[in-house]
Amino acid sequence: MSVWLRLQGHALGDSIRRMAAQPLGAAFSILVLAVAIALPVIAAVVLRSAGALTSGVETDPHVNVYLTLEATDADVKRIEAVLRSNPQTASVRFVSRKDALDELKSSTHLAEILASLDRNPLPHAFTVRVRADDATKLAAAREAWAKLPAVDQVVADFEWSQRLRRWIRFGDRVMAVIAIVLGAAVAFIVGHLIRLQVVSRRQEIEVSQLVGATASDVRRPFLYHGLLQGAAAGSLALALGWAATAWLGAELGALTTAYATDLKVVFLPPPGAALVIVLSGLLGLAGAWWAVGRELRQFSPSRRNP
Amino acid sequence: MIRFSAVAKRYPGGLEALRGVTADVAEGEMVAVTGRSGAGKSTLLKLAAGIERATSGSVVVHGQNVGALGETALAILRRRIGFVFQDHKLLFDRNAFENVALPLRVAGFTRDETGRRVRAALDKVGLLAREKANPVALSGGEQQRLCIARAIVNRPAILIADEPTGNLDAEYAAAIVDLFTSFNQVGVTVMMSTHDEASLGRLGCRRIALDAGRVAGEAQPA
Repeated sequence: MSVWLRLQGHALGDSIRRMAAQPLGAAFSILVLAVAIALPVIAAVVLRSAGALTSGVETDPHVNVYLTLEATDADVKRIEAVLRSNPQTASVRFVSRKDALDELKSSTHLAEILASLDRNPLPHAFTVRVRADDATKLAAAREAWAKLPAVDQVVADFEWSQRLRRWIRFGDRVMAVIAIVLGAAVAFIVGHLIRLQVVSRRQEIEVSQLVGATASDVRRPFLYHGLLQGAAAGSLALALGWAATAWLGAELGALTTAYATDLKVVFLPPPGAALVIVLSGLLGLAGAWWAVGRELRQFSPSRRNP
Repeated sequence: MIRFSAVAKRYPGGLEALRGVTADVAEGEMVAVTGRSGAGKSTLLKLAAGIERATSGSVVVHGQNVGALGETALAILRRRIGFVFQDHKLLFDRNAFENVALPLRVAGFTRDETGRRVRAALDKVGLLAREKANPVALSGGEQQRLCIARAIVNRPAILIADEPTGNLDAEYAAAIVDLFTSFNQVGVTVMMSTHDEASLGRLGCRRIALDAGRVAGEAQPA
């Protein structure tokens, strides 16, 4: 085994031994860090869950044009031609009465009720994807289409979902800000804890330097300590986040079933969870690096009296 | 092996510990640095060990200009020099074995090699039976010997000792002096400071006398 690997092993063993020597203190520190990390984790889960809900919702700008129940095939062709000729139209999709009924049966719990009806209550419809770059022209097109013979209703109901998307994007940014602030807090807390250790081990560090320890040799066990502390806190934060969202998710599931929607708590996938642990470890490492560097500058033996 | 050329050392606050000191210590030589308290003995030894940096002049050790070395290179140089501190600098939360093992741990020695070398060093200073003892439980003389064991555990070519016989009674002091003489006899360059005449007489080596930070004279062994 190379000297480098052996030094890494010594440092890792040293940091584990020191944590094990003060289990209560180490556990408390990790818990404090975990609570800080758990907040952005829970926020991420909430946003992922909201994102999953809206992923099935149509958010592209479109207008639904519903025909009257009496509309004939000739009306369908005429209206389709008018829709396609409008410069605000990007594409047109025809949904026949039969297709609409089939889709309703398959996507809701109303199949039995629908089967009991004498006739299909749904009209022919067009879904028109529109160019949403000019709201005035779009409003004019909607108004014109509403006046066409055999057109019953023109509905543009994508705006709310677009607004929801924007809110989720805003939520993403809020979460990023929270994550950055709490990440800095984690690095600062780890740094402060490591700084206290450095100060309490000052004599040992000084003697080590006097017998030939480089700054890297002194820094190494503290860096492992910060890394381990951060990674352990990240793991605990995931567990806390999972427990909190599972507890909330059970109630949410019961609530949303009553509204016939399928809102589920979507926890972080394994790569996301691994990223939380890695980032937490790196934050611990960064905090330790900052703290040790700051202290070492103050009592490096040959720097004290240049 | 060690060359001081016009070395001056001024501490923050203005204290001038050394003023234009020029001296040489040859390879395999044993040299005693003498002088009253405050003469600059400790500062001269610390400059040779790379623990302090000169304000002006140059200190060359093992062919390396200490003043020109970066922090890491200086630390590596310190591994090749054994230093016995006046105040021992022992760690009281570790036992004798662990104190002596510290330089080997820093240098990345294996567990087996560390154990072998530490026990050999403790045996050399007569403390093998006390390897589990905390330094607090050791007498002043034993603490001094423990510090010597830590200094020699890396098998350095240069051994520097700052007042190793200070605060020791005559019998202990003589034993310590004999220990350094035995190291020198196997080729280790020894540089030690002392103001104890009895120890100087027993050493029987070249002396560099310092006075107020200057070389006041040199004397060859009788």
